Amino acid sequence: MSLTMSEREDCPSASEICDFLSEYSAWLLGCGATCIRLEKNVGRMAAACGKEVEIAIMPRHVHVSVRDTGRSGTVTAIASVRHTSVSFYINTRLSELSWELADGRVDFSQAVRRFREIVDGDRQNRWIVLLLVTLANASFCRLFGGDLAAMAVTGVATMAGFYIRQLMLGYGADIRVVVLLCSFVSSVLGATGILFSLGDTPAVALGTSVLYLVPGIPFLNSFSDMLNRHYICAFSRFSDAIVLTACLSMGLCAGMMLMNVGMF
Amino acid sequence: MFLQIFQDALFAAIAAIGFAAISRPPRRAYVYCAVIAAIGHALRFVLMNVVTWPLHITTATFLASLVIGILAVFLSPVARTPAETCFFPALLPMIPGMYAYKAFGGLAMCVLSTDREAFDMYFYLFASNGLTCMTVLLGMVTGATVPVFAFKKVSFRATR
Repeated sequence: MSLTMSEREDCPSASEICDFLSEYSAWLLGCGATCIRLEKNVGRMAAACGKEVEIAIMPRHVHVSVRDTGRSGTVTAIASVRHTSVSFYINTRLSELSWELADGRVDFSQAVRRFREIVDGDRQNRWIVLLLVTLANASFCRLFGGDLAAMAVTGVATMAGFYIRQLMLGYGADIRVVVLLCSFVSSVLGATGILFSLGDTPAVALGTSVLYLVPGIPFLNSFSDMLNRHYICAFSRFSDAIVLTACLSMGLCAGMMLMNVGMF
Repeated sequence: MFLQIFQDALFAAIAAIGFAAISRPPRRAYVYCAVIAAIGHALRFVLMNVVTWPLHITTATFLASLVIGILAVFLSPVARTPAETCFFPALLPMIPGMYAYKAFGGLAMCVLSTDREAFDMYFYLFASNGLTCMTVLLGMVTGATVPVFAFKKVSFRATR
């Protein structure tokens, strides 16, 4: 039987645990985890340390209050939610970490060290991602009934747009500006199918050329939070997704106006 | 018809892998995302196009998402990832992106239109696309999330 941390000698203080859990929460929320996942993971780790925890999840901040089980006196920490792109790698590894701590496979100091390694170690080969996203959007075009020419046009439009997205996000540009610009570039390139009469379904190529920019995960997270009655977080994530979709639509409309093609 | 279903499954799997790459899942999750997406999307295709009484996109998406959710819950302990790491990328090919931006396009044209007839038409397009987008999203997330809560012990212990 594994001992809880409070029963062991390396028992950290409520303040140390609170600091760790607040930073953990900020990262987990920032990388796109749902609120229920956060509550489960944090509750599990606090229980392993012999503490009780309450979390208030706000759109841009998270409040974590920790107290010793059965005692009075609460420590509270507030952390800003991390501005990072969605990462299921971090989500998965942080969830694993919560179980490792809960099952006593790591102690508190090891957990803190491993947490640092996880958040610093999320690396991806950008060229492979670019290739995969290009293939994905070309396949998407096929799912909507596009022919080979339309798939090729969609592929080129996606590759150009996504490359610009990677570059601009790498320079720290605002995601809304990035989506607007990428949508404009992809729609202009997507409209070349109509301009040069490439294949039988050039309109499908134009329609699907910007779909890689649709904020799918924020949409899914917002509805998931809503089902779990985290209405403020759900509304905030939904608003984020709507704003990004509006930017996408503006870029698309501008590209279509430039190329003199209609949406409907 | 089988060829069409196979094509739908194949391209949905490729789309799921590519869109999953944007949200950086662990490498071991890619295969599961692809398999779950292929089954889910092919099922939606069958429900909307092949069966005797074709279903509306919202109903078909809900049922396909339910299957995706069940598969994700029981495959996530094998993949050692949270269930949403498996099912969110698998749901992405079904996100009603085209409805979403057509709704915004309709809204923009609504504002820019000068006569009532054009306004009515664009308002209809805005409302129709917007409502379809919302109901499909709601059906999708409800369908995929129900199994996560129905099998809580499996889904929240997947990374143990």
